[in-house]
Amino acid sequence: MPEVIQQNLPFLLAGLAMTARLAAIGIVGGTLLGLVLAIVRHARIPLLNPLAVAYIEIVRGTPLLVVLFICFFALPSFFGYRTNAVDAAALGFVLFIAAYLAEDFRSGLRSVRPGLTQAGLATGLTPVQVFFLIVLPQAVRRAIPPVFSQYVRLFKFTSVASVIGVRELTGSALLVNAREFQPVAIIATVALTYLVICSAMSLVGRWLYARLAIRS
Amino acid sequence: MSYQLDWTQIWQNRGLIIEGLGTTIALSAVALVLALVVGMLIGTIGASRSRTGRIAAGLYVECMRNVPLLVHMYVWYMALAFLRLPPFTCAVLGLTLYSSAYVAEVVRAGLGSVPRGQAQAAAASGLRPAQVLFLVVYPQALRIIAPSLASLSSQLIKDSSLASVIAVADLTYQAGAIEGQTFRTFEVYITIAVLYLALVFIVSRGLMSLPGMREAPAVGRIADA
Repeated sequence: MPEVIQQNLPFLLAGLAMTARLAAIGIVGGTLLGLVLAIVRHARIPLLNPLAVAYIEIVRGTPLLVVLFICFFALPSFFGYRTNAVDAAALGFVLFIAAYLAEDFRSGLRSVRPGLTQAGLATGLTPVQVFFLIVLPQAVRRAIPPVFSQYVRLFKFTSVASVIGVRELTGSALLVNAREFQPVAIIATVALTYLVICSAMSLVGRWLYARLAIRS
Repeated sequence: MSYQLDWTQIWQNRGLIIEGLGTTIALSAVALVLALVVGMLIGTIGASRSRTGRIAAGLYVECMRNVPLLVHMYVWYMALAFLRLPPFTCAVLGLTLYSSAYVAEVVRAGLGSVPRGQAQAAAASGLRPAQVLFLVVYPQALRIIAPSLASLSSQLIKDSSLASVIAVADLTYQAGAIEGQTFRTFEVYITIAVLYLALVFIVSRGLMSLPGMREAPAVGRIADA
């Protein structure tokens, strides 16, 4: 390990912890919001469905950096509330990744055969029970590969939070570089760290899919 | 809500916005073409029968796409600063290397979905290997992967906004500049969000409406007959 990394290790590890925290908030919040959006769209809930469509299309057409700027600068000044870079980034990640996850969950929902719903209804389950006990579990299992690739994408995208001043892995590395000026060693270490963690996340996704896959 | 919307200052700065939009389009176009070429090459190697080729292509894909795009850009802009590349070139290199990994995966999957018999029949009918690839295999794979390539293209346009961080004067960069002068934070970011949205919409619709993109794949039709 290069000396410059060793000397600044606690600072960089604190950055890595912030990266993990942002990614975790984004994954949990984004998954919940994404599931809600997917269910609204799948069930074609009146009034809410067009709103969900508009939300998903708008967010998917906007760069993450712009979403973060909107959460950090534009929304607080428009609605007149105070925020900090970490909260704004967390909000931005949840809002951003939910739009992508919603589409992945929705295609999972669509891939569940209608016969299963009919069979569930025929055995006397209520439509709500059929959805939550039969359709949703299968849809989620089918959606594992695209959903995990979104999680990996989100983990990489947490680096963008450095632009609005969050001291996550990239942000703290840039600060260390500003003091030590050893860009080759520092950027290489950061790149390698992301590479290892993202590869590990992909492997977990593949393992989960292999264990839980439903083959049709 | 005490915020007073005022769009006049955005309109006064339209020159900057248009300039930024031009840079975004130029950056995306150059990076997209390069990413498609590199991705096509790596993807073809990844789908080849050579074991070494497949492993090398797999390594390339994993290494390129598991590093954040922002870090890719810093590699060229900061770590390799002694090369003294202009920011625009750094952004093109970063975007190309990052996106080419995704293109390669799509191309590899597309080539894999063309039945082996197609290439064998083409070779048996006397076509040279290059002809087999360009006249028989690629056209069929392209139709299958067209939607994925269209969505990768819109991804790339959005990703190009990160070039603003390494001082490329693209749309996002100009938005920051206008915001700094006018303090019309909400208006300026909504404006550029709408412009990105429009750009992504036009490009993805445009690509999908190219002739041949929306036809059912020829393979499917032959198999059905």
